[in-house]
Formats: sequence, structure tokens, C-alpha cells
Amino acid sequence: MSMRGNEDEKLDALFRAYRKACPDPEVSANFMPTLWARIDSRQTFLFSFRRMANAFVTAAVALSVALGVYLSIPRSTPGTPPETYVEVLAAANPLDTPDIVSPAVRVDPNGR
Amino acid sequence: MLVDFELIKRAQNKDSVAFNEIVLAYRKRILGTITRLIARSEDVEDVAQEVFLRLYFSLDQLRTPEVFEPWLYRLTVNAAFDYLRKQRRRQEFRMSDLSEQQVLMADATAGSKVEHEEQTKKKVRESVDSLLGAVSEADRILLMMKEVEGLSLKELEKIYKVNENALKVRLFRARQRVLKAFGAAGKKEGPG
Repeated sequence: MSMRGNEDEKLDALFRAYRKACPDPEVSANFMPTLWARIDSRQTFLFSFRRMANAFVTAAVALSVALGVYLSIPRSTPGTPPETYVEVLAAANPLDTPDIVSPAVRVDPNGR
Repeated sequence: MLVDFELIKRAQNKDSVAFNEIVLAYRKRILGTITRLIARSEDVEDVAQEVFLRLYFSLDQLRTPEVFEPWLYRLTVNAAFDYLRKQRRRQEFRMSDLSEQQVLMADATAGSKVEHEEQTKKKVRESVDSLLGAVSEADRILLMMKEVEGLSLKELEKIYKVNENALKVRLFRARQRVLKAFGAAGKKEGPG
């Protein structure tokens, strides 16, 4: 137990010696200019990134609006029939068409 | 506090003169802390600049100027941690054998008392650096902040934003590991 305490004290002493062996260093003359250069560089990068992100968002919004407008316009192209599928089918095969309405079975009154 | 709240508020509004004053007030202290945390003098300014760079871009997130110092320390701890993690400098890489050899070589050439003192300091730095290789980068920084920088548990609580008991447990475990390495190093040196 006392051994452990002794080592603890030695370690504390070593840490104190370390504190003295590493005093606050002198700051070089280039510290501030380099710091501001790095800040400017980061700012330029952030500005470009933000501008790019804004452009992307604007383009996405514009595309969404354009797509919305395009989809909301009713289709009235000349080549496209205005009717629904059922109406087209009914028009092509009217009810009086024998093949559809009463196909194939014909009763001959004379038995022929 | 080395600066007043008004100055911090001005810097928060992107006043570059105010920010300059804050850097001038704190740079020496931050450089000193980083020197002891990373133990690599050639990269100290680079890490310190990273701290102030992060400060510049996140200063507007600081809600109350009262917590400015713990917050700046937090940025310092994070930057030092990122640096150490990148470096992956472990004990094996800086074996005490190597430092002894360096010391012997230096001793042969060093004549003056100043040089001798410098060599002693260098040996202390390398010993502590080597011992702290026994713990993770995060624990190394925590131990340094407590044992070398002399921050109280209350101050560390503000920096790490964890409760005192959790910090105590973590510190105790880290110190035990360092003590174990310290004991092993002592036994190694003892017979020789």
C-alpha cells in the first residue's frame, strides 16, 4: 500500500516536472497572418459551397414547379381521342353488331 | 476571463477586430496547453490555429459569454484529440530506449549547464509522452488537463459536459494504467 502511494507521489512529481519542461511557447510572427489566411480560405470554400447548394435547391424547385405545371395541363392533342377506353371500345363495336351482341347462334325457322 | 463579455459579443457579430483581440489574449495559453497535450512542438501552432479557426466559425453558437473559457478549452481538447488520433503516436513508436540513446548522444555533445537542463527537460517530456502511450488519446488529454494543466473536476465537468463521478472513474482508471506503466518502466530501469 505504501509502495503504491510512493509511486503515486513519484508520478505527481513527474507531471509537475513535465509542466515545467513544457512552458508556454512564444508565438511566431506568422501566427496571426496564417490564421486569417486559413479563415479566408475556409470562408471562400463555405461561400462557394453555399452558393452551389443554393443553385441546386433553386434548380430543384424550378424543375418541380415546371413538372407540376406540365402535369396539371389537360391533354388536348389532336391525335389523341378524347373518349375513355370503354367509349372507344363501344364505338368500334356498336350494340347492333351481330358478332358482339348475339354471336354465331342463328335459328333457321325452316330447319335448315 | 482574459476578455470581457462585450468583446465576445462583438466577435459573435463577426467583428474581426474583436476576434483578433480574443486570439491575442488567449493564444499563448492555448499554445501552452496544446504543447503539453500533444508534445510535438513543430505542430503546436498548426493545432492552435485550428482551434481558433473552429472558434471563428462556431462563435455564434455560444449562447452565453460566461461559458466562453470552458468552451474554448473544449475546442482545444477536440483539436488536440483529432491531431493525436491522426498521428496515432503510441508508446511503441517512441520507446524509452530510443530517448535514452538520444539523451546519451546529446549528453556527449552537451557541455553547458543550460544544455544539460534542456536535455533533462527533454527526457522528462519523452518519459511522460511515453507513459501516456499506455492510455487512449482521449484519456491522455483528460489526464493532462487534470494533472498538468491543473484544472479542477468542476472545470472539467463544464468542458466535457459529463458528471463529476463519471470523470472521477475515468481519471482513476487512466491514472492506474499510467501508474502500471510507470512501475514497469521503473523496474526496467532499476537493474540497469
